[in-house]
Amino acid sequence: MTAASGMVARGISKTYRDGRRTLKALDGTDVDVPDGKFVTIVGPSACGKSTLLNLFCGLDTPDTGTIDTPALGAGPLLGRVGYMPQQDMLMPWRTVTDNAAIGLECMGTDRETARGQAREHMDRFGLHGFELSYPGQLSGGMRQRVALLRTFLCGRRINLLDEPFGRLDAMTRASMQAWLLDYWQENRCTIVFVTHDIDEALFLSDVVHLMCPRPGRIVLSLDVDIARPRSYGEVVTSVHFNELKARLLENLGRAQ
Amino acid sequence: MKAGIIPPLLLGAGLTVAWEGYVRLASIDPLLLPPPSAVVRFLVRNPGTFGRNGAATLSELLVGITFGILIGLSLGILMQVWHWFRLATYPWLVATQMVPIPAVAPILVLWFGFTIVPKAATVALMCFFPVAVSTVDGLGSVNPELIRLMRTFGAGPWRVMSMAALPSALPRIFSGIRVAMALSVIGAVVGEWVGSTKGLGYLMLHYENRGETDGLFATVAVLIAMGIVLFFIVGWAENLALPWRRHAKETL
Repeated sequence: MTAASGMVARGISKTYRDGRRTLKALDGTDVDVPDGKFVTIVGPSACGKSTLLNLFCGLDTPDTGTIDTPALGAGPLLGRVGYMPQQDMLMPWRTVTDNAAIGLECMGTDRETARGQAREHMDRFGLHGFELSYPGQLSGGMRQRVALLRTFLCGRRINLLDEPFGRLDAMTRASMQAWLLDYWQENRCTIVFVTHDIDEALFLSDVVHLMCPRPGRIVLSLDVDIARPRSYGEVVTSVHFNELKARLLENLGRAQ
Repeated sequence: MKAGIIPPLLLGAGLTVAWEGYVRLASIDPLLLPPPSAVVRFLVRNPGTFGRNGAATLSELLVGITFGILIGLSLGILMQVWHWFRLATYPWLVATQMVPIPAVAPILVLWFGFTIVPKAATVALMCFFPVAVSTVDGLGSVNPELIRLMRTFGAGPWRVMSMAALPSALPRIFSGIRVAMALSVIGAVVGEWVGSTKGLGYLMLHYENRGETDGLFATVAVLIAMGIVLFFIVGWAENLALPWRRHAKETL
């Protein structure tokens, strides 16, 4: 890979013990995340994708192997890598603005400044007019926008997004994908995106890592050389897109 | 809320009419069971007595409840953040609830005399426990995923407590406070029975000794009214403190 490295994982393993059973979630796998790129980890359910993100954001430590972050310099991962969990984890007692400001507040920004910054971005995140709404009043798509705003407001160089659109209906999902790409093109950062949707992975990414379960490992890394900006309709119907998709499906079938 | 007030009033009115009718038709001795009309007459004729003694009981209640809630909250938070403290104290806190209040109240009077302190203390003793238990449960029910998310933002334990655990525990804490409200009136009355010169509990004994059953019933009516008002004040405070619940209901 020619690009500078954002995050480099080498030989990482993770085993969970649940009573007498042990589950090998990751088995000595390598992952490369080039700096400033959109990287997707795609794979079937329970293949260890979420485990990988938990290691990347420092919530868990690998049993063996190392994770280096040349882009961030040395230091602990926890508190320095952005993370958006699978469930939006909005606080029902906080308004949209206050929810979006949580990350900044935790980082030490005072509450009013954090709110002000959140308010400045409401328009860009399609939340204008909902600043004072509570999460219980929002649709699934809007909740994800709040969660994304909460993540990106922290201004982290590396952001991990765990199936952010997994629970949305197909049409909302397509518009959120397009929106995310737009936003990312304007505000470049490194994104590690997890999904089980191959179309979504190819449409969004510069690099796709295909992951397979039992034990979890990366079986194929694919550079997605489709020019940006991308439009969904053109990309997913192009021949090249379908060639890449075929390669992924073929490897997925072989590994399982 | 407005529509909700009609059914209980209707039921209350119906029961009162039935009671009045029964006493009159069966010619019950008013010493055994006075008709509601006599109770109301007694209330109207002695506003000063009930005002004075009601105020005394109310101040005992408010002081006792305030301390009970503060102690319950503090214990609950300590038990949640400090596991060792929880292990050491939980059985003993349960033990405090096994001690019969009528047995403790005279001792408190011995210690603190005929002041407000022993009554407020019995109220606090009854109030703190449901608040402590609901605080522990509430704080423990915070979504662990939310705590993990906050840690990735760099939040420490104190911020997790104040930003995530306490707010998500509030609904349960309020349930505990409502239970405490219902118990507090009993605490105040028992506190007054064993040693006081004023208050509604004192008044009840006074009327009972003099055989004024209508006065006794009137006192109980005032106590009930006080308890209900306290209970609904908590509900009102809960609505103010948890505005997101109101809004969530609006969208349904």
